Amino acid sequence: MKSPRNLQRLGALALSLALGWWLWQGVTISPFQGITGPAARYIHGTARDTGAANVVAAILFDYRGFDTLGEASVIYTTVCGVALLFAKRRYRRSSHGLSFIVKRSMALLVPFILLYASSIIVMGHLSPGGGFQGGSVMATVTILFCVIYGSSFEAARVSPKVKETIESSGALLFVLIGLVGLVTGGAFLTNIAAGFPRGTMGQLFSGGTIPLLNIAVGMKVGAGLSTLFYSMVKILEDPTESSPPEV
Amino acid sequence: MNPVLAIVAPFLAAFTIPLFFVFRKRWIGSSIVLFGILSALLSLFVAAGGERAVVMGGWNPEVGITLVVDSLSTAFLILAALGFSASLSAATEAFGYGPWRFYVLFFLSWAATNGIILTGDLFNLFVFFEIFSVAAYLVVAYPPRSWQAIEAGFKYLIFGTVGALFLLIGIAYAFMATGQLNMAILARVLPRAPETTLSVVIGCLVVGLFIKSGTVPGHFWLPDAHSSAQTPVSALLSGVFVKVSLYALIRLTFLLFGNADGRVFFVLLLFGTVTLCLGHLMAFQQEDIKRLLAYSTVAQVGTIVIAIGCASAGGIAAAVYHAFNHMAAKMGLFLVAGVLAEDRASRDIAQMRGLFRHRPLFVLAFCLFAASIAGIPPLNGFMSKWFLLVAAAERGALIPAAAVVAGTVLSAAYYLRAITAFFSPAETEPPHLRPHPVTGAIVMLLALLGLVLALAPYIDPLREGLLAVGSDTSSGARYIGRVLQ
Amino acid sequence: MLPISYGTAIIVFCIGLYTILSKRNLFKTVIGLSLMEGGVLMLITSSGYVPGGVPALLPFAGGEPVNPLPHSFTLTAIVIGAADVALALAFIIKIHRRYGTVDIDKIRGLRG
Repeated sequence: MKSPRNLQRLGALALSLALGWWLWQGVTISPFQGITGPAARYIHGTARDTGAANVVAAILFDYRGFDTLGEASVIYTTVCGVALLFAKRRYRRSSHGLSFIVKRSMALLVPFILLYASSIIVMGHLSPGGGFQGGSVMATVTILFCVIYGSSFEAARVSPKVKETIESSGALLFVLIGLVGLVTGGAFLTNIAAGFPRGTMGQLFSGGTIPLLNIAVGMKVGAGLSTLFYSMVKILEDPTESSPPEV
Repeated sequence: MNPVLAIVAPFLAAFTIPLFFVFRKRWIGSSIVLFGILSALLSLFVAAGGERAVVMGGWNPEVGITLVVDSLSTAFLILAALGFSASLSAATEAFGYGPWRFYVLFFLSWAATNGIILTGDLFNLFVFFEIFSVAAYLVVAYPPRSWQAIEAGFKYLIFGTVGALFLLIGIAYAFMATGQLNMAILARVLPRAPETTLSVVIGCLVVGLFIKSGTVPGHFWLPDAHSSAQTPVSALLSGVFVKVSLYALIRLTFLLFGNADGRVFFVLLLFGTVTLCLGHLMAFQQEDIKRLLAYSTVAQVGTIVIAIGCASAGGIAAAVYHAFNHMAAKMGLFLVAGVLAEDRASRDIAQMRGLFRHRPLFVLAFCLFAASIAGIPPLNGFMSKWFLLVAAAERGALIPAAAVVAGTVLSAAYYLRAITAFFSPAETEPPHLRPHPVTGAIVMLLALLGLVLALAPYIDPLREGLLAVGSDTSSGARYIGRVLQ
Repeated sequence: MLPISYGTAIIVFCIGLYTILSKRNLFKTVIGLSLMEGGVLMLITSSGYVPGGVPALLPFAGGEPVNPLPHSFTLTAIVIGAADVALALAFIIKIHRRYGTVDIDKIRGLRG
């Protein structure tokens, strides 16, 4: 029993080392001669093409916006799948949360956290941040609810159906904004060329569709991650299944 | 018609079904059917619309993400549309419209499949592969009550994610060496990269696609996933999901590496042959009918990889033709096996005696599909194997060709074992005999499709189309010209 | 500096692969997946390095910006990786429920 295991480990080690050596041989480090290829266009053209100040956001939501639709759909798929895996279980009130002081301070903090999340989402085209980051911060609020007020609090206030609606509407909004470009005679996800206002760079209302897409992704990610967390929590909270059966 | 609609339509389905669940529960069923028809029709319209390339967002191809319709993607779009529609119809009969989350995942995988087939951007290919894979792990694990399915889904997830990471590191190396991501531009600039870098790019991408498609070093997930999943899902896995990874393998090897490094084709021939032999030998030993079919799929994946490894227009034509034939026959086999296994409440071949008397049409269809897969002339499987043998002989790959012929004999042997069981008299009557009208209709349509495919070499437009797929894809010049015009 | 960064990325990737191949605990397998993903992301980010580069936020203050394209890939890949890990953990919860263990050798369907 012992020696095949060691042999297996040795094989794995040899394979990993060989792979590492091979990958190392393949690294090309050429002396830096300036950025070439599409990246040069992104750097020099973002202000003119999109009106956004954050080049990375311009790439994510305009030049390569189709990737972002795909990426958001991966999250959507995962959320839907986890909800499918943990279907048909109800929330139970198993914990009552932390003390009164913590609950009160949390109540004071929540508006500010939500404000912070919204600002990350709507200023995604101006500063680092965007829909994914802001959506994640928003989802932490619901996770804090679970920790501080007990696991059933959130489910009682915000029904899973509401989250489902927000998530799907966000996804739908993304596709519909993309289709606007198609309807106006351009291509899918066309931004400025489809008539969206470019605005003045650095202002809140600038960048054409980029802020709108950020909001759509924020809805999708915020509601999605919250659903993900609660799908997993409710199975852990379910005492009827807490002791696994003998195999 | 803009090719993006073939991707957007299933996405719209996936995003609106939850809204129907929240607001109008009664509309879920009809919306699933309507969206299914819409997605299939749009895919076929895009396929019928001729060759073209469009760039998302209206940028130039270097800056934006390109969608390309050429003869190879047309063929696979049609394959995906046929496979998904057949599986969707079978699923609506098997599950009803209650498990709407399953249909959401189904449409997401459809969108991702069309995305993989249409995209002309390497990183976008990875993103769509991820949606496709995540949806695939979950449809395998459906229903979550079945522990076998959960375990198979988890195994698939581990293998699939490792494969995805190999794909990603290959893409990272390609980007590092060139700074480009558009596949047509990469086809021009990648051969100028240093040789070791090029070998890493090729190696990582091929390993990733091997794991995703179930070729030998990464085939461990395939039999479990195919045999543990529900019947419509097994049919979908064998018919479409495996083929999509093979599509990416054809596209990338010929476009990016065809001119750069011929050694990749030798690797494909080698691993294709190993996969073929292993698949047939393992299938020979199975007692469980769905596992037998799953290992047969492994063997057929090997056959298609050998066809790609022939590195010629004839080889590609054989690969695409065999992909269609395998789709028609194996989907039919899985659907029939599902019905028969439900009758006996067991997937053990020895338990399936005497079913011919109760379901003669299903059993006859099984015989037809099995004969086609095994390659009995003049059925469609024989035709595509013939194409393959000609291509392999031209290439001088005699050992793979001999393996294909030997595999034919072996597969005839194991399918005959199952068929003998169906025709031999039974001691007991089957306990369940639920009618399966929709599945029956799909099986008949698939059998008809198989017969049409058998005639394909004699029908001029089909034969010309098949040969055009081969000649367009093997040089890549037409694809590059289409994107960068 | 750049070779060290690439080297680290490759080492992390290989540690991840070794973990997946050799460990029998499902959680460690998932940790291995995360490590591999981290390695790839480090590699991608390193490829966007520009000597003395500034963040790619307009207007570029005081110099050449770094290559923004790898950053956007990294963001995309992080999200995808997080989704994969979440799904893997969900599967492990289900499997643990059934078998009461996360040891691969004791779980029938995952052997081999």
